[in-house]
Amino acid sequence: MNGNGSIELKGTVEEVWSKLMDPSILSKCIMGCKSLELIGEDKYKADLQIGIAAVKGKYDAIIEVTDIKPPYHYKLLVNGEGGPGFVNAEGVIDLTPINDECTQLTYTYSAEVGGKVAAIGQRMLGGVAKLLISDFFKKIQKEIAKSKQEAS
Amino acid sequence: MVDHGIGKPMYRLEDVRLLQGQGQFMDDLNPLPNIHHVAILRSPYPHARIKAIRTDKAALVPGVKGVITGSMVASLSRPFPVGVTAPVKYYSLAVDKVRFVGEPVAVVVAKNRYIAEDALEKIEVEYEPLPAVVDIERAMEEDAPLLHEEVGSNIANQRTFHYGDVEKAFQEADYTISHKFLFPKYSATPMETYGVIANYEKSTNSYTVWANFHGPFTLHSVMAAALQVPGNKLRIITPKDNGGSYGIKAGIYPYVVLMAIASRVAGVPVKWIEDRQEHLAASSSGTDRVTYIEAAFNKDGTVTALKMKMIDNVGGYIRAPEPACLYRNHSNAVGPYRIRNLYMEAYAVMTNKCPTGLIRGYGGQEHYFPIERTMQMIAEKLGMDPAEVIRKNLIRADEFPYKTPSGGIYDSGDYHKAFELLLQVGKYHELREYQKKAKADGKLFGIGLACIVEPSGSNMGYITMALTPEERAKSLPKSGCAEAATVMIDPSGSISVRISTTPSGQGHETVAAQIVGEVLGVNPRDVQVVAELDTLTSPWSVASGSYSSRFAPIGSSAIYQAAQKVRQKLLKIASGILSTSEEDLDLSQGKVVVKGNPEKSVSIKRLAGLSHWHPQGLSEGVEPGIFETAYYTVHTANPPDKNEFVNSSVTYGFVADLVAVEVDPDTGEVKILDYYTVHDAGKLLNPLIVDGQIYGGLVHGLGGALYEELSYDKNGQFLAGTFMDYLCPTATEIPPIHIHHIETPSPFTPLGAKGLGEGNCMSTPAAIANAVADATDCIIDNLPLSPNRVWNLLQKKRQEQEKVYIRGDH
Repeated sequence: MNGNGSIELKGTVEEVWSKLMDPSILSKCIMGCKSLELIGEDKYKADLQIGIAAVKGKYDAIIEVTDIKPPYHYKLLVNGEGGPGFVNAEGVIDLTPINDECTQLTYTYSAEVGGKVAAIGQRMLGGVAKLLISDFFKKIQKEIAKSKQEAS
Repeated sequence: MVDHGIGKPMYRLEDVRLLQGQGQFMDDLNPLPNIHHVAILRSPYPHARIKAIRTDKAALVPGVKGVITGSMVASLSRPFPVGVTAPVKYYSLAVDKVRFVGEPVAVVVAKNRYIAEDALEKIEVEYEPLPAVVDIERAMEEDAPLLHEEVGSNIANQRTFHYGDVEKAFQEADYTISHKFLFPKYSATPMETYGVIANYEKSTNSYTVWANFHGPFTLHSVMAAALQVPGNKLRIITPKDNGGSYGIKAGIYPYVVLMAIASRVAGVPVKWIEDRQEHLAASSSGTDRVTYIEAAFNKDGTVTALKMKMIDNVGGYIRAPEPACLYRNHSNAVGPYRIRNLYMEAYAVMTNKCPTGLIRGYGGQEHYFPIERTMQMIAEKLGMDPAEVIRKNLIRADEFPYKTPSGGIYDSGDYHKAFELLLQVGKYHELREYQKKAKADGKLFGIGLACIVEPSGSNMGYITMALTPEERAKSLPKSGCAEAATVMIDPSGSISVRISTTPSGQGHETVAAQIVGEVLGVNPRDVQVVAELDTLTSPWSVASGSYSSRFAPIGSSAIYQAAQKVRQKLLKIASGILSTSEEDLDLSQGKVVVKGNPEKSVSIKRLAGLSHWHPQGLSEGVEPGIFETAYYTVHTANPPDKNEFVNSSVTYGFVADLVAVEVDPDTGEVKILDYYTVHDAGKLLNPLIVDGQIYGGLVHGLGGALYEELSYDKNGQFLAGTFMDYLCPTATEIPPIHIHHIETPSPFTPLGAKGLGEGNCMSTPAAIANAVADATDCIIDNLPLSPNRVWNLLQKKRQEQEKVYIRGDH
């Protein structure tokens, strides 16, 4: 499964970047993320609990951030395994300033699933991915707004 | 009571208990105390090396009694024997590698299923994913991912056969035609899934298993060999009722062995009931097949030769009884046609899909789809009516018994009569007239015909066609074609019959009672039928079971002969009492009566009482008790010979189908307007059951034609894990079905009956494909004909027509 999209975020490139790189923010913003633990340089272990169609379950995931070009570009590698099967995903994120206040975030991703998730959830995957992504950015936007408020 | 005799439409005796909720299915059994429950961890990868399995956390879950992994299975069992020379190691649990999504990797035994399922999540498996292959022809290429290193290739079996002079026929023919066809992987979806209860008894090193397994019981020896015990240390008992099989429950045998081992390791009796997701992903299925077909034919429509290259996808492991799908129709490979020259090339290929096995129609649908499509394509090429091409080639009534080029002996038939009946009841000519009008109005209306020969009562020797004559010569000749039954009368005079045909809904109990009732002159409702098979106490043979439509030709014959033995014994005892010779006696209304003097009689009750209570009163040479077993076989079921001739079935029925369809040009949806099917299955034993069987087979065939496919993505992930993704026809999809019969009794069976439960599985996909091709003028060479597939074909055709139009314009 492949996808892409873009979203306008209220915040400078630097502000957005700092949120995206902050593990404590990420763990709050990723739907179903129960814990996110740094296990190496730019490498995290995550405990994710996500339901895809009728397949709910827990995935032990390794999330790796590579190809980092602050504050404009990075790549995300996710390898999750669990009772319902496995998920391997890759996402590329680019930030471009629109003006002094806004940033354009564009993303592309590809994901592969296996086991029960593929056998049962395949039809729903596109929808689930969209839901997870839009939910994530909604929460990131909130976090940026929150820190702006706190700063002012 | 005559009303309920052989050939009468008696209501099914089974239905009384089934309709009152008193059936005894696998999950209803509770034969032992302390039964524990099993859950199975399955591979999410189509192809991967297992680097490590850590089970300690799962083992510590309260209530867990044991965790079984591949290494234990490898030490407690041997790979299953299989009828090919390729050294494929197939165990009941993955050892070192997984080769399809859903392959069992570990087993948890726990106090209940909930605990077992939860404990599965605590098992950690480290996989090293490997490249997967699912495409049949890709798997045959040298650089394809290799599933079994020790085999050195993904080709598990390969044979070629020449009958007649094919090359000469092709040289001399007016025309030839060739095409490639693909038949999809599809399944049988019984309401009741697999279920096993197993108990290991340490003191005797023996296993007792209850399973809704239905044979072939040749697989009993396969299981015993895997468990390394003599046959009498593996006792298999089947439940009274089986919630449907359609062939697929033959594939339960790896789980029988797996549960036997699980019981041994955990030290408790274990029970496993398969869930629907497990069933769709990993039970068994039909093979998907690529066929390259070439036909040689003359101007008048006479087909003189066929060449077929058939490549079956047997999934991750070739397992018994595969590669039988390639050979089951070997003797009837030319179908109902007088084609004398035949070349066949057969391949069984392993890919990263679920392993295959018996499915209703076994091999027939894969085989007849390309042949019947080709017959229609020949008609198109010659500008002839397809019915005329079929007529030209059908075997004539005066040619029976007909020997086919590959050694089959078609026992009886009148194909022309059946076919003409079809055209008449289906109003074929009126339909053709209507079609002209409909097409002129822009409607995509089409008519499809298909004629097939339906084999029944397998001669299991055909499976050894997978070996060369030299390889076959190294072992005992195999034909495996016998069935047994026992008829007994207790001291009170009541009659029971024990059958070994493991029915799975086909009404064997009813027909058995009808046969015994008629032979012994009693009401069938007073005959008790025991259908549970127990390998330690039932009479059975390697061929026993419920497959290849073998009840009508073979199972019923064994019952008939056992009843005849009892009849002879009753007459013999009565002869002494009535001082009348046996020839002058008859059985009627529960009594032995003197012919022409019905006042003079003695009841069966009295005769049975005598044989039990007063054996000394029997005349000399008569054994006490009444308990007679008969084994039945057919003399034409010989092992394959050195010239590769084999008669792979005992009887051969005939099916002719006519279907009218309309295709929606905007959505590609196929609507079936009418379906006519004419059957010749010899003497019908119970017409009511017969029509039920035909409806079922036809609807299963409809599923294969239009809806059902076990689809995988290119990486080997399984995509049809629920009934949302794997579509089965439901009541609303079933078209108007019109069934007609002719009866040409088989000369080879005592009752003249032939099997008939599978015919439409074989013919319906081809008939519908022909109708859709006729409606759309598209080439149909792949199934199922889902709206998506048909719509794409229509689009392609439209684009091509536009191109032609544009080119023509300039």
